[in-house]
Amino acid sequence: MASTTISASFTSCQDLSLREITLDSLPRLKRLRDLHFGTKPEICLELPRLMTYYMKNSGNKEDSPELRAGKMYKYILENKKPVIIDDNLLAGTTTTKQVGVVLYPHLLAQSIWPELETVSRRKKNPFGITREEIDELNFEIFPYWMNRTIQEVARKENGNPFCQRLMERVVFFIATKVYCISHTVPNYAAVVERGLLDIINEAKEKELSLGNSSDDKEKRDFYQAVQLSLNGILSYAANLSRLAASMAQKENDPVRKEELLRMSEVCSKVPAQKPTTFSEALNAVWICRVALLQENSSIAMSPGRLDQVLYPLYRRDMERGMSLSDAVELVGCLWLKICDQVPLAPEVSEELFGGSGCNQAITLGGIDMEGKDAVNDLTYVMLRATELLKVRDPNVNARYHPEVNQKEYLHRLCEVNINTGATPCFHNDRSAIEALQGQGVSLEHARDYSSVGCVEPTSSGRTFGHTGCILMNLPSALELAFFQGKHRLTEDEPIGPETKAPKDITSFEEFKEVLATQLAWLIDQAVTLNNNFGRAYQKIHPSPMQSALMEGCMQKGKDVIQGGALYNSSGAAMIGIAEVVDCMTAIEEFVFKKEAVSFSELLEAINKNWEGYEKLQAMVKTSTEKFGADSEMAKKNADWLIGFLHNTFQGKENYRGGKYTVGYWTMTNHAGFGVLSGALPSGRKKGEPFPSGITPVSGSAPVLTACLSFVAHLDHTHIADGHALNLKYTPSTTTSPKFAHTIEAFFKMGGLQVQFNIIDRKTFEDARKHPEKYPDLFVRVSGYSAYFKDLNPQMQQEIITRAEYHLDTGKEVRY
Amino acid sequence: MVSLGKEPSFSQPQPLIFDIKRHALQDGPGIRTTVFFKGCQLHCMWCQNPESIDPAPEIGFYPKSCMKSGECVTVCKTGACQTENPWRIDREKCDRCADCVEVCPGRGLRQIGRFCPVEELVSILLRDRVFYEVSGGGVTLSGGEPTLYMDYASSLLKALKKQRIHTAIETNGFFNWSEFEEKLLPWVELIMFDVKLMDSKMHLKYTGQKNHIILENLAKLIRQRPDDVIPRTPLIPDITATTENLKAISELYQSLGIKRCALLPYNPTGFSKVENIGKKVSPVLSKHMMKPEEERKCREIFSWVELVEF
Repeated sequence: MASTTISASFTSCQDLSLREITLDSLPRLKRLRDLHFGTKPEICLELPRLMTYYMKNSGNKEDSPELRAGKMYKYILENKKPVIIDDNLLAGTTTTKQVGVVLYPHLLAQSIWPELETVSRRKKNPFGITREEIDELNFEIFPYWMNRTIQEVARKENGNPFCQRLMERVVFFIATKVYCISHTVPNYAAVVERGLLDIINEAKEKELSLGNSSDDKEKRDFYQAVQLSLNGILSYAANLSRLAASMAQKENDPVRKEELLRMSEVCSKVPAQKPTTFSEALNAVWICRVALLQENSSIAMSPGRLDQVLYPLYRRDMERGMSLSDAVELVGCLWLKICDQVPLAPEVSEELFGGSGCNQAITLGGIDMEGKDAVNDLTYVMLRATELLKVRDPNVNARYHPEVNQKEYLHRLCEVNINTGATPCFHNDRSAIEALQGQGVSLEHARDYSSVGCVEPTSSGRTFGHTGCILMNLPSALELAFFQGKHRLTEDEPIGPETKAPKDITSFEEFKEVLATQLAWLIDQAVTLNNNFGRAYQKIHPSPMQSALMEGCMQKGKDVIQGGALYNSSGAAMIGIAEVVDCMTAIEEFVFKKEAVSFSELLEAINKNWEGYEKLQAMVKTSTEKFGADSEMAKKNADWLIGFLHNTFQGKENYRGGKYTVGYWTMTNHAGFGVLSGALPSGRKKGEPFPSGITPVSGSAPVLTACLSFVAHLDHTHIADGHALNLKYTPSTTTSPKFAHTIEAFFKMGGLQVQFNIIDRKTFEDARKHPEKYPDLFVRVSGYSAYFKDLNPQMQQEIITRAEYHLDTGKEVRY
Repeated sequence: MVSLGKEPSFSQPQPLIFDIKRHALQDGPGIRTTVFFKGCQLHCMWCQNPESIDPAPEIGFYPKSCMKSGECVTVCKTGACQTENPWRIDREKCDRCADCVEVCPGRGLRQIGRFCPVEELVSILLRDRVFYEVSGGGVTLSGGEPTLYMDYASSLLKALKKQRIHTAIETNGFFNWSEFEEKLLPWVELIMFDVKLMDSKMHLKYTGQKNHIILENLAKLIRQRPDDVIPRTPLIPDITATTENLKAISELYQSLGIKRCALLPYNPTGFSKVENIGKKVSPVLSKHMMKPEEERKCREIFSWVELVEF
């Protein structure tokens, strides 16, 4: 084992790549990684069983939502089975399985109900489940929750409102609170710097200082809920400690025995006390994470800037003789823990939107709260662990400040990207910080941002900002604009407002007004629904543990769901931006400027899916006025659309008194929504995937520098919920500095985020045919990473045909 | 073909530009934009840009983009456009009026070469200024042969220098020295200079010109700007990439005191472009990439000197 020990920083004197540390030199990581890929995920009933039991038998109907939640999580964590399932150096598991699927019964767990008998045999992403478990879900668990989910509570409270029925048509938007609200970064710094006992004491003191007003009664319930639930975490840790001790007793291997004894000792101390070693800190963070995942889904529940939070203890241990190899191993253990559960996806959504991991984002590097270079040795240790493990979760995000961070750091990021093919992604500190400041986040807090979920910048441990609460299919607003408030899928039934018929529209400006009317209406529906869902959470699902680990809540005495956090935004992701801009630009160019075709004829062409209109289609498609090209017309339309969406969303208030921000990232939804959408004036045919994130339509951006300049030109303060620019490079055997230079230039021009797949097309083609040969081939989808084999066919196709440039020559690669 | 005779006085007035390649990573240091001039006094059999040889506009046919609309046949006045012709245009009949290009719906027919005023070209080249700045890149003039248009190239280079953009040129070396020295040399920072064949007869056979002007120019250039010249040799199997030829080149470099040079790996995939302009790939050219072993042998001959790769 490599055992380079140094007293202070290695970055000044050593190989930043840590090449001598490999999976062969770390057999534990290799073993755990193999185990991870060799394990079929299993559905775990522990959480729904405990939740159902508590709600049926122990809940006091008089309890406020906060108090009920506090008591319930105390119960759940006290009764959660302590599991040490393999020789990972961190104790505890999210589920009772090696790789588990958590069912959150108040969320969308029931969507798997009709498929319980088949889910273990389905072709894509099967999940294991036993007969007894199926019966328990059928008869004990699901029936209880039928009318108690967020979806059904919101429906009942609001009289089955139009906005909710609109979402259920799938093609317009998805309000994601029905399956998660967890897009946030918990304040792990508090876990590491204070320990939970300190927070419990704070809650107790605050509780004791309260009076008798009704406001104070609510606060009292909140502070009690914090104490109850955090005490639950301490019980869970104590159970882990006891388990490790008893396992140690039975263990014959002296090395493993010693590990278990140490683990027992660690769990008896953290997270109650403040950790004093690097290993304790990692355990503390992990145990808290396990607890948080009982309360809220792991989807986009992001650990944040661990290289900052953990650095002081890392440094301390390095000074006391910890080797770099040990550090990489410990970090690797956390990475493999983070992927110990996968999200639930029923077959239909698997088909449309499947393949997603949980998007648990780690953020590395960038600048600190004072604006100084924050890249440290631990950043490089974490990069090495990422490079060696190549797992889709955690989703590794690298921050880079073009004026402050070192060039060597950017080069190392590029190297890791080349070696993993898909990670990390790159965030521009300068633009992200400005975007957050535009949302009222203080400069210091903006500098301490982490990426949440896919790409969304949020101040770490201070923002409760469900950054992916709305996923909106932008082209569906075009449909409504073309057909006077109707959608081709729903035929004659009017849906949106009846706007002017295109044949009567006499100018492009007039068309934009029509489109704006439909967009504003659609946004209104989506926001109303999200707010309905938010209020349903307030009624049935506060999050006391999340609140204890969020700045603001303890001061205000309020749960995050009530607006307790310091910052309270909601983020909406727009799908299909480049497609809509190309459609607008085609209409402007060919209908109004050149008068090459009438609006009616253009609509006839798309109604016939361009059949019989191939020449017109070719004319539109070969136009150089496109999003991502050197087109002033497309730039102007993109500016207008992004500005309009930003202003309209900013004008809305969420249920916590915060504002809505807009982002352009799409996960796999661009493929799913594409399947459901008809032909469009951009030349696109029915059913084709939309371009991902803020990426140009494939083939429309032949010049990489033009594409980057186009995207960098967009006003990033209008994109406060982040964007994913997804590009592809043909791999090269050399690590040319020109890759890093390309990113550097993009950031200097103001670009916000960019990410690259660097994988050979032949590999993709072969993986499509022989998925069994590529269990761990992972790719960037639109913000997060996924295993290629898990993606649905249209998503695989979208990645294969995505804009690609050659890493050596810089040329666009077309096939 | 432009016939220029033995002692060319050179310089055509206005060039056509046939491509502007942005984000070029192999035409000099850093991230660059490469401007391709149309027209060349040489016509090397292996030319990677066969459409660059003829200085006049040409019509290219790209079958993948052809929608078989038949529009070209309808508008063609000379009968050159033919539906049944797999290469669409009978080049003997074509008068290059480009009417067919105008009506082609799928961009299957394209005009190659357009005049571009210097100011307009500079404004395009400046779009990527940030990329040049962070990478130490700039603009490379290539072709075709940029020295065929001394006045135009000169004002282009001057304009770029005024903007503090790094300038490079790729040349076949077949130019009038004094004109080059006066009009281009002061404004160009890097000269990539082709040295193809040492045997003059072979040079004539494969490129259409003898090599003495080229070799004289190289010597003069090295004397004046030893640090700014990179002589380059394309590796063409059995033609330039012979031990004999490469050794002769290597000896020349030694005698001139050259410190760095480049070998351009053989890439037969580019040859298909010949067919787009209605010509055929020479059967003499190998269809295969060079084996790493063969390439290594070529490199060994130059082991005494720095081999530059961009």
